[in-house]
Order: sequence, then C-alpha cells, then structure tokens
Amino acid sequence: MTPVQITIEDISGAPAGKVVKLVRIVGQLDESNVDEQAKSIYQVIEANPKGLSLVFDVTGLEYMNSKSIGYMTDWYSKISANGGKVVLAAPRENILDILQVVGLTQLVNTYPSIDEAKAAVLQ
Amino acid sequence: MDPTHQQFEQTVEQAQANAGLAGSLPLDEKPIDVTIIIPTQAYFLSGIRDFVVNLTKNLTGFSAQWAFRFQAVVDELCNNAIEHGSAVGGHIKVTLISTKNKSLEVWVEDTGTGKEKLTAEQLSTLYQERRQLMATQYLGFRGRGLPKIVGEWTDEVIFENIPTGGIKVKVKKYLRKEEDTVLSSPQKDSTHIVLQ
Repeated sequence: MTPVQITIEDISGAPAGKVVKLVRIVGQLDESNVDEQAKSIYQVIEANPKGLSLVFDVTGLEYMNSKSIGYMTDWYSKISANGGKVVLAAPRENILDILQVVGLTQLVNTYPSIDEAKAAVLQ
Repeated sequence: MDPTHQQFEQTVEQAQANAGLAGSLPLDEKPIDVTIIIPTQAYFLSGIRDFVVNLTKNLTGFSAQWAFRFQAVVDELCNNAIEHGSAVGGHIKVTLISTKNKSLEVWVEDTGTGKEKLTAEQLSTLYQERRQLMATQYLGFRGRGLPKIVGEWTDEVIFENIPTGGIKVKVKKYLRKEEDTVLSSPQKDSTHIVLQ
C-alpha cells in the first residue's frame, strides 16, 4: 500500500452551531490506499450531519488519482448540501493541475495558505 | 521481500538501465523504448509513477509540468487495466516510447482475463460517450480518469484488441512548448491556469 497519512483535528473559533475541522493529508492517494483512507472522512461527515466544514491541508499531498478526486467531490456534495464548506489549502502545482483538468476547482475553492483557507471557512 | 516484488524491482532496474536512467550510462538522443511488466496489483503503481516522472523530466524534452501529467495519465491507464483487463495474479505491460523533443507515447496492455473486461470497441465507445457528457454535465463519483485526465492531456488515444486477448491502449502526446502553462497561486475562483 502506498504511504499516506490523514490526520483530522478541530479548528477553534467556529461560529455557534458550526464544526470546522482541519484534514491534513501527507503522501500519495492512489488506488492502493484511497478506499481505506476515505473511511475516516466519511466517519467525520456522519458524526457531524449539520454545520460541518472541512479545510483540507494538502501541503504534503504528492499525488491524487481520479478516484480520490471522486471521493473529494462526494464529500463536497454531502457537506455543502448541509450548509457547510469544503476548501483546499496550499496544493502543490501538480495537484492543482489535476484538480483543474477534472473541473473540481469549479466546485471547491483553493487558497495559497492554511491561514487563508481557515479564514474563508470561519468568516 | 516477496518474490513478486523482487521480480518487479529487477524489472524496473533493467528498464532504467535500458532508458539510460542508471547513473553512469551516457544519455544520447536515441529514441527511448522501455517496457515494464508488473503484477496486477495497485501496490506497484507508485513505482511506475516515479519512473514515468523521472524519465519524462530527464529524457524526453517535456517540462516538469508534463512529467507530472504523464504520471497521472499512466496511472489512470494502469488502474483501468488492473480493474478491468487483467485478473489478479496476472500482469499488465507498460511501454514508454519517446523521440526527444518530439513526442512521448505510452502503451498499456492487459491480458483480457479480468472479470469486467471490455473489448477495444466497447472501451472506445465508452470513452467517447464520457468525453461528450463530461463536456456538458457532472457525471458523479467515478469516471474522470480516462475522459478527463487521459483525454485532456494526450493528443491521440487508440484502443486495440490484442490477438491473444486483452486490450492495448495507446496514447501519444506531441511536444509543443507553447502548451506549457504557468500555474498561479491558488485563488478563490476557478481561473487558476494562465496560458502564456
């Protein structure tokens, strides 16, 4: 299995009734690991059915395949349907490029830094 | 290290030597023609991705941006071959052909033993349909790999039936410097790529 690590932590300062979490992905998301890794995100979504927003820190994300982009699209759909936001922080050029070609950047906003991404969600 | 993994490592080393990537071998302008055979397991694809990036960056004349694009193209083609074309315990074959500063071609062949195997005609039809649909509408969770990543980042896509069974997918990209793009820092809107 290709190495990848996903950690999830709370972001403080969320308005009342909102839950904002930082999802940090380090490594490569590919066919060998994405199904298993996606479970942790779905658990967070299920545990917070209303008012959840996710900030993905993808500074350390080296590769993502089309299936992982599909998962991200599904997370966006579920969270935005319940009033939340999904944003990406600091993607590498190759990650931004692949998100662009499949059209995900038309749905999910991206920001150059984690602080800017957090601010966009917390405002 | 299990025997299958050891065999794969040897195959990559041999491929690197053939491609002139091994440290002491001189690089020249001869066309590159490298074939790698890997077991039908997604585990091995990270090694293929690394190899494709290094070969493309160092030996083909394509930019780093295109090296990462080909990495994704090859990964998606291999994933399809593993998911549909070759049964577990079998193999897929990846061939990279490049004439420096002109083109890069990738062939991915499966054995036709997979449970969900398609003919070249069926796959070609599926590819064309998804290309058309994706231009106008959202298609859901899966199915972006072939029509978007492979389709957008190559100039030619050909599906062929292999006489002994299986499919060979051949993609080709011609080097055109004007197609290199500069990715700006990510912004709030979707206009991230600035064409030079």
